[in-house]
Formats: sequence, structure tokens, C-alpha cells
Amino acid sequence: MNISFDFWIWIGAFLSLCIFSFLYKDNPFYKFAEHLFVGVTNGYFLTFTVHRVLVPNLFKPLFEGKLWLIISFVVGALYVARFIPKVSWLVRIPIAITIGYYTGASIPAVIQTDIIRQIQGTILTPQNFQAWHAGTMGVVWSIILFIGVLCTLSYFYFSKEHKGVLGVTSKIGIIFIMIGFGAAFGYTVMARISLLIGRLQFLLGDWLGIIK
Amino acid sequence: MKLLDYLTKLDRRVIYLILAIVVILPLVFPSTQKVRVMTPVQRLFNTVEMIPDEKILIIDFDYDPQTQPELEPMAIALLRHAFKRRIKMAALSLYVQPLGLAKLAMDQVIEEFNSEATTTADSIIYGKDYVFLGWQPPPIIPLLGMGISISDVYKTDYYGYKTDSLPMMKNVKNFNDVGLLISISGASAPLWWITYSQTKYGVAVGAGVTAVSASDFYAYFQTGQFSGLMIGMKGGAEYEELIETELKIQQRRKASEALGSLTAAHITIIIFIIIGNVGYFVRRRK
Repeated sequence: MNISFDFWIWIGAFLSLCIFSFLYKDNPFYKFAEHLFVGVTNGYFLTFTVHRVLVPNLFKPLFEGKLWLIISFVVGALYVARFIPKVSWLVRIPIAITIGYYTGASIPAVIQTDIIRQIQGTILTPQNFQAWHAGTMGVVWSIILFIGVLCTLSYFYFSKEHKGVLGVTSKIGIIFIMIGFGAAFGYTVMARISLLIGRLQFLLGDWLGIIK
Repeated sequence: MKLLDYLTKLDRRVIYLILAIVVILPLVFPSTQKVRVMTPVQRLFNTVEMIPDEKILIIDFDYDPQTQPELEPMAIALLRHAFKRRIKMAALSLYVQPLGLAKLAMDQVIEEFNSEATTTADSIIYGKDYVFLGWQPPPIIPLLGMGISISDVYKTDYYGYKTDSLPMMKNVKNFNDVGLLISISGASAPLWWITYSQTKYGVAVGAGVTAVSASDFYAYFQTGQFSGLMIGMKGGAEYEELIETELKIQQRRKASEALGSLTAAHITIIIFIIIGNVGYFVRRRK
């Protein structure tokens, strides 16, 4: 056992234990750590935004004579108009610009990435069989994927009653959906346990020195 | 039957306590766990190996304290790989919170290499072997802007140096000079890189993601949009295994050390799920 004498390690350990104390029940230690975390995060974000973004990209060039940046400044400042009832409508200008830009940038990119490429990946082609890196089993996996996608999509087709062929495919679709949920839950367990392990590695290692 | 009733009504705090014991014991009394490397991680490793000399590796550090235990081992393993192979590396973050953690990981690995270096040529030197570009919000700016000019997006680096004055960046203009971009993220950042940067500029993208988001990302690996994929602590352990066996890097393997606890915790949870289900069906029959 080799306990740390680093002040900040002790602070980290104390705050970790405060958060863990919620597992027993809600208490003032947990609330303190929670509020401190939120406060520190926001303070860090705000300070960094001012010093690393606004000052070098806006204020400094503005004072160096790049006067056209005043347009960006005014448009950005209109977000604050939200708090002044008489001119609150002005907030729509920066919101409209932001939504317009992001929508224009996103739609073609998302269609390409999430629809076209995913459909291409589902079609039964020799190229997709190779993508599994499973030799001849690649054909089997591709067929299972193909059936899974079609059956899952049929489950979400609600314009016709799920009877006959549609009833069969939608039932198979449910099986695929359940397998998907099961896999996602399994991964979620792994993720949460990993976070616990990480904290215990810190407490038992960096703080108490029980483990390497 | 009484035992089954007791188990199905077990206080959640008892479950937490059992889980804590099950996780702590393998950490205190470690045993060797065999790590089997899966295809997604192997492909990521191979892609890093194939980065040409004239191109750089970009690592997007997008994890924060909440996801650090899962993702930091991946970042450290990747940095060890890059520095061992002398692949030039640029680091960045799409969010502000990961900056400190990114610096922490880089400082650790650079210290490992420089403590063993005997000459300047062996050392990892800032500006020559790696740069830390820092943070440039909003994310859409680097996602699209780096395809045109990296030094226009990041005029200054994390430390305030002019990016285009750094020796490593002299021959690096845009995504054409990037061999691979790996996004280590607890959120959707890897998807943004393929949606915007890969679709428009064709940059190769790899990812290291948390286990909770794994099922969202597998589809993009199957289509080839991700060149490789590391998932959760297991993914980090697999990469650690690869750099130890292939590159003979003998350093602490934080993710691999955790596998014993992970396995024990999974078995415990499986047992609890079985008990819960058996209890449910028995009580329903009554």
C-alpha cells in the first residue's frame, strides 16, 4: 500500500467518493460534487471560448482593422435580443442563418452517408461478401443482413395490416430488432462497468496505491 | 422458494456491493487474460501501418472525464503506435472538454519515448513529430474547412504558435496530406467525420468509440466507411495487444488489466438476470 501525497489526487478521490455515495441514497455530498462538476465545466467552457475563440477570431482582428467582422459580431449579438421583449424577434435572424447553413450542409451529406452508402452495403454483391473478412461465410452474413434489413423495414410498414406475407416478415423483423436491443444492452453493461473499473483503478491505484 | 423470493426482492444496494467486490478482486489479484484481436481492430492497426511517409495521422481526441476509462487506453495505444513507427501526428478536439485529457495522454506517451531516447533523433519533438492543433468551434468548421486548408482553420495551435510555421505542417496542406483520421469519441464525432469530411474530401476515417454506442457504428464499418474500429475497453485491450506483439512495446496496459474485472462483472450480471427471470416465471406460475 502506497498512499498518494498529491493534493489533487486526494481532491479527485474525495469527489469520486461523493458521487459514489449516491448509490446508497441522495445526500449533500453527492449534490456538492454534482454542482461543482457542472460549475467547473461551464466555467472552463466559457473561459476557453472567450480567450481561445472570441479574442483571437473576432476582437483581435476587429481592432486590427478587419471591420467587416463587425457584421458577424452584430449578427451573433442578436442572440441576446431574446432577453429584451421589445426586440426579441431579432433573435430569428441568427437562428435562421444557422439553421439554413446547417440544413444545406447536412442534407446532401447525410443522404450520401446514411442512405446511399448503407443501401449499397446491404445489396448482395461479391464486394460486400468480402467486406465481412469471413471467407465463404461472408455470403451467409450478407444474406442474413439483407433479410434482416428487409424484415425490419417491413415491421415499420403500417399502411397495411400485418397479415400474410407481411405478417411473417414483420415477425422475423421483430426477432432482428430484439437481437439488436440485446446487443445494445450488452454493450451498455460493458460500457458502464468499464467506467466503474476506471474509477476503481484511480481509487485503488493512484490514490491508495493498492494496485499497480 | 423463500430463497428465490428473497433474491428477486434483493435491495439494489446489495447488488451494488456485490458488483463492487466482484470488480475490485480481479484488480487487486490480477490474472492473465488472453486478448483475442477482432477484425475491426486488426484493420485499424493495419491501416495505421500503411500510412505513407509523406502523409500524417490525425487523432481527434473527443472524450471527456465521463468516458475517459474506456477511451483513454485507445488513445494511448494509438499514440504509442504512431510514435514507434515515426508517423507524423496531429491532434485536435471538436469539443473543449477533451483538450486537457488529450494533452495528458500525449505528455504521458512522449515521456515514455523521450525517457528512453539517447539522441535528439530518437526523441519525440513538438512541431517536428507531432502538433496539437487544439480546438476550433463549431465542429463544422474543421470538418469541412480542413479539406481546403488545415492552417486556415487552425491559424494557431494549442500553445499559440502559428500553425504554418511548424516544420511538420510545411508539407501538410489539407486532407490530401492525411493518411488516416481516427476519432476517439464518446459521442457522434466519428459519424460527423464520415458524413462531412469523408463524403466531400474522401479522407479515410477510423474510430474508437464507447461500448454503449457500438451498435450505432458497426453499420459504417461493414460498409467500409470506417477503415477500422475499436469498441470499448475490449477494443483498447485488443490494440494494446497488437502494439505489444507486433511492435514490442512493453508499457502499462490499462485496458487489458481491466479485462478480468470486466469478465467477472459480466458473469455476475448474467447470473442476476437469470435469477430475476426465473423468479419472475416462478411467481407468475403461482
